[in-house]
Formats: sequence, C-alpha cells, structure tokens
Amino acid sequence: MTSLTLKINRFTLALGVVLAFSVIGIAKAEDGEYGVLMKTLANPFWGAMAQGVADGAKEAGVKYFQQAAESDQAAEPQLNLCNTMLERKPVAMITAAINSTNLLPCLKSAQEAGIKIVDLDNNLDQAVLDKEGVKVTFHIGSDNIAAGAQGAEYLVSKLGKDAKGPVLVIEGLSGNITGEKRAKGFADKLKELAPGLQIVASLPGDWDRGKAASIATDTLTAHPDLVAIFCANDGMALGAVESVYAAGKGPQVTIIGVDGNVDAVKSIKEGRLNASVAQLPYLVGKQAVENVKKALAGEKVEESIAVPTLVLTKDVIDAGKEPMLQYVK
Amino acid sequence: MTLLSLHGIRKSFGAVDVLHGVDLSVAAGEVVGLVGDNGAGKSTLMKTITGIYRADTGSIEFDGKDILALDPGQRRQLGIEMIYQDLSLAKQQDVASNIFLGREPTKRLFGLFPGFVDKGEMDRQAAKMIERLGAHLPSINRSVGSFSGGQQQTVAIARALTFNPKLVIMDEPTAALAVREVQSVLDLIRRLKSEGIAVILISHRLNDVLSVTDRIVVLRHGRADADLVTARTNMNEVVSRIVGGGDIAAAAAHEQRG
Amino acid sequence: MASEQPGFWARVQRASVERLHIRLESLVVLLALGTAMALLSPYFLSLSNFLNILLATSTIGVLAIAATFVIGSGGLDLSLGSVMGLAGVAGAFVAVNLGWPSVLAVIACILAGAIAGYINGQLVTRAFVPAFIVTLGMLGLARGLALVISQGRAIYGLPPEIVYIGQGRPFGIPMPVIIFVLTAIVAHAVLAYTRFGRHTLALGDSEGAARAAGIRVEHHRRIIYTLSGALAGLAGLLFTARVNAGDPTAGINYELTAITAAIIGGTNLFGGRASILGTMIGALIMGVLQNGLTLLAVQSYYQQMAIGAVLILAVFIDQYQVRKESRV
Repeated sequence: MTSLTLKINRFTLALGVVLAFSVIGIAKAEDGEYGVLMKTLANPFWGAMAQGVADGAKEAGVKYFQQAAESDQAAEPQLNLCNTMLERKPVAMITAAINSTNLLPCLKSAQEAGIKIVDLDNNLDQAVLDKEGVKVTFHIGSDNIAAGAQGAEYLVSKLGKDAKGPVLVIEGLSGNITGEKRAKGFADKLKELAPGLQIVASLPGDWDRGKAASIATDTLTAHPDLVAIFCANDGMALGAVESVYAAGKGPQVTIIGVDGNVDAVKSIKEGRLNASVAQLPYLVGKQAVENVKKALAGEKVEESIAVPTLVLTKDVIDAGKEPMLQYVK
Repeated sequence: MTLLSLHGIRKSFGAVDVLHGVDLSVAAGEVVGLVGDNGAGKSTLMKTITGIYRADTGSIEFDGKDILALDPGQRRQLGIEMIYQDLSLAKQQDVASNIFLGREPTKRLFGLFPGFVDKGEMDRQAAKMIERLGAHLPSINRSVGSFSGGQQQTVAIARALTFNPKLVIMDEPTAALAVREVQSVLDLIRRLKSEGIAVILISHRLNDVLSVTDRIVVLRHGRADADLVTARTNMNEVVSRIVGGGDIAAAAAHEQRG
Repeated sequence: MASEQPGFWARVQRASVERLHIRLESLVVLLALGTAMALLSPYFLSLSNFLNILLATSTIGVLAIAATFVIGSGGLDLSLGSVMGLAGVAGAFVAVNLGWPSVLAVIACILAGAIAGYINGQLVTRAFVPAFIVTLGMLGLARGLALVISQGRAIYGLPPEIVYIGQGRPFGIPMPVIIFVLTAIVAHAVLAYTRFGRHTLALGDSEGAARAAGIRVEHHRRIIYTLSGALAGLAGLLFTARVNAGDPTAGINYELTAITAAIIGGTNLFGGRASILGTMIGALIMGVLQNGLTLLAVQSYYQQMAIGAVLILAVFIDQYQVRKESRV
C-alpha cells in the first residue's frame, strides 16, 4: 500500500510542476491581441525594445503576448514559436526574424489567416518577400545607413572639413547587412564632407570586442598618425578604446561606436569613448505598436518607418537637454 | 582424439611478454585443469583460444581446423565456449537476450523484412535450457542484473551450453559461490564430460581441480611447465610445480596467503 | 510481501517495458501534460496545433533518434548539432552554389553527416580517444567547416523541391512530420527487434559481454556513429528545408536537447537501455511543454526551466524504479 501512495505522489508531483509553470504565465486569450516575436531578450537592446512594446501597448490600450527565441541564432525554434503563436489567432504579428527566411512559412500562414505582419527592426528582405508573395504591413527600425552617416557628420564637426589623416573602419560580422550598412553610410558621408580624411582600412571585427582591439592595435602600428576609428557597434568601439589608450594615443584618435548601450554611455561620461550613434530600440518597439493600431483602424501607414538615431557625446549627455535622451535605456 | 591443440603460442602486450610458446592439447570429453600463479598467463592463454586476443605466433587447431585467423564469433560457431570469471553478462538485458547474444534466431517480419529477432523462440529455448540445468530463476524476462550471483552464473552457463559446444572453458567458476553451489558446478562439469564435451577448468581452488579433472596443466612464467595426470599426482606436487622448485615450505605459505 | 502476486499496475508496467520497450511513467507524464494543457488553453486541442507540435519536434526528434542509438550503445555524440549544421550547409551549397539537382543536394546532406559520423567512429574505435573528446572535437570541426563552406553566412534560395521537403503539406500533413514519423518507426523496429539493435544495447550494457559473444565491437561502433551522423544529416536537411537556408549556425545546442529527449524517454545515459518509442515520448513531452507554454504566453525562459525540471524529474523517477526493481 505504501508503494501505491508513493506512486500517486510522484505523478501528482509531475503534474504539479507542470501546473506551477503554466500558472506563472496563465493568461486568458483575448480578442484583438497582438503577437510579438523577438529574436531574443538576452541583451539590453531587445530588452529596451520589449519595454517600448509594453509601454506602447499600455498607452494605446491594446493587448499583446510576447515570445522570444532562446538566442539570436535559434532560427528554427523561432519558427516553431511563430507557428504556435498563430494558434492563438492574433490580429497582428510583430516579428523580429532571426534571418530573412526562417519565418517565411509562418508569415505565409499568417497572411492566409488575414493577420497583419510587421517587420520589427528591419530583418526581412523586401526582395525575398516579393518572391514569396508575402506582404508586410510595414517595416520599422533604425536606418543603419543614416546612423553611419551621423557618425561621419559628428567626426567632421569635431575635426573640421579640411582635416586630414588616416581613418580606420571596423565592420561587423562579414556579410551581415546591418554592419555593412553602417560602415557604408559612414564611408560615403565622410568622403562627401571631408575628403581629406582617408579610410585606410575597413575590416570585419565580427562584433567582437577583442578582435576589434587587435585590429586597432595593428592599424596604429601601421599608421601611427591615425585620427579616427569608426566601429559598427559599441562593443567593438570599446575594444578599440582600450587599444588606443594602451598605445597612449587617447587624445589623438576620435573613436565612434553605434548602439548607445550602457557601457558605451559610461565610457563617454568618463571621456574615453568620443561618441556613440544611439539606436532607440525603445522607440522602435513603441512606434511599432502604435502604427499597428493605426493600420488596424484602417489608417494609412508608411511601408517603411525609420526611427531616428541620436549621436551621444559627453556634451549631449551632460547637458541632458536633448528630448530623445529619455529613450536611451 | 585430440580436439584442441596449441603449439608454440606466444603473446606479448607491448614490451611485456606474457606467453612464451605454450603447448597444450585437450581431447574430446577430457577435463583439463589449468593452474598457475597470478600473472602466469592463464587468462591470456584462454583468450587466445576464444579469439579475444590474437596470438603473435604459434598455431591453434580445433577439431582438425586451423582457427588462428578466426574471430571470436566464428570460433564460437565451431563450438568453443567460455564462461568468464566476471560472467560477461549484459546486465540490463533479460535471460534469453544474454543466452542468445550474438546468435539470435531470426524470422521475417510480416514475412517480408528479414533480420528480425524471433523473441518467442528465444524465450522458449532459454526456459528449456534453464530447466535442463535444474536451476530456478524468478522470471526469464527480468534483467539479469537483478539476479543473485549464483543465478547469474546459471545464465552464463546456460549461454555456454545452449549451442552444443565441443569445448567449454571455465574461468574460476567457483570462486564466488557458496559450498552448495560449488558442488553443483562440479557436478555439471562431470555431466559435460559424460556427454563428450571437453572442459578446461581454470581455478585457484586446487581441491576442486583435483577432484574433477583428468589432467592438470601448470602454467608458469608463460609456459606450460608441467602436464600432470590427476590420478597420479597430489596437492603437494601441484603446488610445488605452481611456485617452482621444490620449496614446499614457501609454497605452503603461499597457499595460505592466497 | 515479496511472494505477493504483482498488482495490476506492476503488470501493465512490465508489459509496457517488455512489449513496447517504454517506461510507462513517461507515457503517463505525457498524457498528464497534454490534459493539463488542454484544460489551461482553449487553443491546445486542435488538429492544426497537434501537427504544429509534431512539426516543431521533427528536427530535434530525428536527432534524438541518433542520440538514442549512440547512447544506447554506451557512446556519446556531442557533435550532432554541428554535424546537422554542416550537412545543411553542404546540401545548400550543392543546390545553390553549384546548382546541381536537388536529389544530389539531399544526398549531400546525408552523406556529409555520415562522413562526419564515420570519422567519429574511426577515431573512437581506432585512436582510443574517448567518445566525449572525439565528438566534442567534431562539434568544433563540423561547425567551423560549415562556416568555411558558407563563408559565414546563410545560403539562401533553395530549389522548390528541397523547400517542399520542409514546407510541403501532402494531405495536410507537413513533410517533416511524415519523414520524422517514418524514420522513427523504422528506427524503433531496428533497435527493438533486430539483431543489430539488440547487439547495440548489449554493447552499451557490457562491452566485454558483447565481445565475448562474438560481436565485432569496433565494427559495430563505427556503424553506430556513421548512422548517427547520417541521421544528423537528415535533420540538417529538414532544418535547411524548413527555414529555406543553409544556415551555418543551425543546430547550436541541439545535441543537448536531443540527448535530453532520449533521457526523458528512459534511455540509460551509460548505455544498455534505450528505445526509440521512449525517446519519441521524451521528445513529445518537451514539444507539448513548449507548445502549451507558448500558447499560454509563458516566456521562453520559464519554458527552459520547465524542461530542465522535467529532465531531472524523469531521471529521478527512473532511478527510483530501477532501484525498486533490483530490490525485488
């Protein structure tokens, strides 16, 4: 008899664990819900975006449910999540796809079910969408080319139009479209504004702080008179900062990153990193929800919505007057 | 009639020479005791007979055939079985699976797909074999790991006898058994002999060896040092040949220790 | 107590182990989970959601079959996820970059996996390097090679025949589900009812016993690792076809999920006991859990916690059962 009670206990236990986890997020399904599918929540960028979605939904008075893949490389698990989310029959799917094709089967099903599709953070490729016959309601995200150009504008404003000297560009992961756009935006704008500033090398840093640091060190050896480094994200920029200061050339080299993340802001305040072109993921998330509401209400929404980026420098941060600063999370 | 004959078997592992040219022959229906000190090479010699090890040089003939190049599976097919000291059972598998391991009867599934194991046939034959051995097992479908040591040995013996072997090698079959179980193993050996099956018995328990064998081969430093007819020898002689020389005192001391 | 007739439950348990080669507990947990989800979410019980679960389980399920064979044989294959990534890239490379027919791309996927597995097998059996180390090395090698072949970026634009394998729905059933279920049926028959399968488990149980029984142990291991690689190749094909891209980062950490499915399904981590049906139940437990929790809008982090808890619970129940059995 004791063994029977034991058995019952074990199954109760098993069921209990399941129920416990279910209750954590138990939510009655609602009509008119938005489904939000992120790449991951395991980094501050996406965390800020999620916060923007949450605040946007609250202000607009809409219901949503949110999922994220376990990492930003989990392409297939994200597709599985997307398929499952459709079962809840949301009115819109706001998706940040891990790559330009992984969610396509799900997005097709969504389209067939009359669900509005939003490309969050510009991860979908319009050419691929056209080929597959998937129509998204709108794309939304930062304009990476503009972000790069803003970096160049800041550099020229600091050094002057007639400045001369070698400049290093550290790109992202080779082949990554985001990194390419930022580097290109920077290079094109720099050529236009200050032709005297010569890009002597443009190398992939693979989004890696250590790799960027080595590239900076090597380039400083080859070009001791280096005047500026532009990095396609802040992590790499902070790596470059270390190399430059280790070489004792802190004041001589202007270093610019992109993202505006917490570490970068700290470094800027300390006067080490010169500037970071901040993306405003909070604003992206918030505006995505607001625009979906508009689209659902039948209002016209632009096909591609560019959320502005903001150049963060010590002056801007210390002054604290820039209204968009509140969105830098 | 000679069933098994070994000539000049040598085996070394790296720099360590274990067997230095062993000669041994066993006749059909003969029970041969193989004794020797630890490290004399008994186990290595047996494994070169079953094919687990390949002899470096020398010849092995079984039933008139040269078997030196055959692998363990092929040698089992010819009728060489061994019951290992550790029993070599797959403990999570059931009785029939162990008995038939490597030799499962097959059938065609739905009369179409070949290579499927005929589990029903296996279970029937396994049950029959266990019964023939007069042994009792709680259930034939239980994993053998849940059995007692004696029951596990029954399974190991059943495995050795199911396919009508001509030669059964037993490595310390009585070392871990209670007195009553020892007697039944010795009885089994006698029964095998009466059925014309040859047995090589490896044992440290010289009383057992003296009571059941026809001949006793002493292995010493990797050689068959002595070949004694059991009926014409005694404990003292065997012990002195095992330790070498005529130092009975040292030998007796050894026997007490070990 | 010991002489008592075994109760009804005990007899059902024994029959399920003997006939179907599964532990009944895992099936009960699966049914309990399904019931709980059906009660909690109005969207859970539907044919399309059921197919969703199977579809989401298909890739990992095929890998879990491979894991079951290898672990059952007393081995370990940590390279499953990477080999899967490599195979997918190889197939996409053949189809897209070389422009060869789709049939060759399919063959390339499976062949790439099989070759990686064969190398694993050779190293494990000939070089005396532990399986953990060999397959850990292959994890890096295969991933690196996938990145080299694809130059670090996903290869897009597969031919429609390949995409059909991942996205087609004959009779309304997704192709990956069909492939997965057929593979599972064949694998179950092989592992449970053929000499090859029985030798695999005996080998995992006691290599000495298998050797003594005349099984060609090294040869058998090489076949197992090659088979494991080929199945990883098949999983890579499914992945690539589903997301329409040969993604060099495909399958990261999948080997751990596959091993988890096998263990939840009752496979002994140290070999000797394994069944494909059990592994499928393990994979479905995870699939139902993830699907149900997603439908309930539970964050994915809690989902990972839930799966971790179920894994430990499953092994706890299993150990309890095994200990009780050996006391009888």
